[in-house]
Amino acid sequence: MMRAAISILKKDLRMEFRSKESILAMWIFSLLIFVIFNFTFEVSRLVMLEIAPGLLWVAFVFSGMFGLNQSFSLEKENGNLRAMALMPVDGGQIYVGKFLSVTIIMLMFEALIFPIFIIFYDLQLSVGMFMLIPVLLAGTIGFTSLGTILSAVAVHTRNQQILLSLLLWPLVSPIIIWSVTLTGMVLSGEVTDAFYPLLLRVGAFDVIFFTLSYMLFDFILED
Amino acid sequence: MSVPALEIIGVSKDFGRIIALRSVTFSVQSGEFVSILGRNGAGKTTLLNIISGVSRPSEGSVQLFGTDPNDRVNKAKLALISHEMFLYGNLTALENLEYYSRIYNVQDAQERIETVLNNVELTHRRFDLVATYSRGMTQRLTIARALLHGPSLLLLDEPFTGLDQHAIGMLITLLKKQKELGRTILLTTHDLHTAAELSDRYLVISKHKIVKDGLISETNPDEIREAFFSSETEESNP
Repeated sequence: MMRAAISILKKDLRMEFRSKESILAMWIFSLLIFVIFNFTFEVSRLVMLEIAPGLLWVAFVFSGMFGLNQSFSLEKENGNLRAMALMPVDGGQIYVGKFLSVTIIMLMFEALIFPIFIIFYDLQLSVGMFMLIPVLLAGTIGFTSLGTILSAVAVHTRNQQILLSLLLWPLVSPIIIWSVTLTGMVLSGEVTDAFYPLLLRVGAFDVIFFTLSYMLFDFILED
Repeated sequence: MSVPALEIIGVSKDFGRIIALRSVTFSVQSGEFVSILGRNGAGKTTLLNIISGVSRPSEGSVQLFGTDPNDRVNKAKLALISHEMFLYGNLTALENLEYYSRIYNVQDAQERIETVLNNVELTHRRFDLVATYSRGMTQRLTIARALLHGPSLLLLDEPFTGLDQHAIGMLITLLKKQKELGRTILLTTHDLHTAAELSDRYLVISKHKIVKDGLISETNPDEIREAFFSSETEESNP
């Protein structure tokens, strides 16, 4: 049933592994953010713990924007967007394929950049940090589920990058803000009772964004 | 009489204030080879986009094999060859064709891929990235990609653009073969000679509507030329 989605995913990952274009650009961009913040602000460890979660998500989402833009720019090349509209498959399958490829690439990038973040900001690795995994997953899925469909909308326009930012930021802000809060709780080792309901809220938004995007994607592919 | 492969009734298309098509009506029988002639901006590509279901008409209706062009079954019967390649430069020819064979659920995919690559004489370059191909080779691979799933309806939007004489000859041979196989073919072109050589029927589109519809066998080549060039004159003197 998801034959087309898996084909699109495999194709995108094969192209990314071959060129490493997105992941490398995202990694360098994030590294730059960490270096600049680390050497510009001389702050205490306590203050650093306060700003670190926000900094981490700034790096994730700004780099993620690059990945999203890249995902459909690749399809625009040689008219492949039109080829997608001609495919004898449900638009939802195309959405799932693109969503999965962007999400996997972004999670891989996060896994690569997180150790650098730990080193730069001298954070202590602990067992509790594993709680970051569901936070990063939920936050990233929210960002990419909405970002994938909006990137498909924006790619038809001349100012693709500006339009994507304008459309995505207002809608994805709640997820990012909650993810920053959750990350802060984990990094400071203060996972309170508020943690799970907030994580659930991010998860609920993920489900809503994903379902709506899946249902609407057919209309996006039409001229 | 059997259901036509394609039936277009009163189709109009506008993009805001820009009119692309006006009340276009015609039908194409299964196995027919129809050439659509007209100058740039006459509405030929818009018409093919509507037929393929990529674009919806502002007015009128389109039926492919008696049903909606957006029907998934219909989309599997259709292929479009245009100036856009529908290929990924960062994949090899083989990887591109494997990708499309999975999307179109092609049976005996490897055998089919070998056949189409052989038909366009690209077997020896199948492991090379498409980005390293010349324009002509890429267009040949585009043809292979379009024929991969054995479409019943072939839409060709100026397919000869950018091809060298060898590639044009190859495409003409392939199209003749497709015609023999009973495929329905719609070709937009400026090349009156090729259109006359390949087609059963021609349509001249001018000022966004069909102005002439005739059988090649019943029309003097000069008449077709006259219809085409008079459309050009009309277009340049609105």
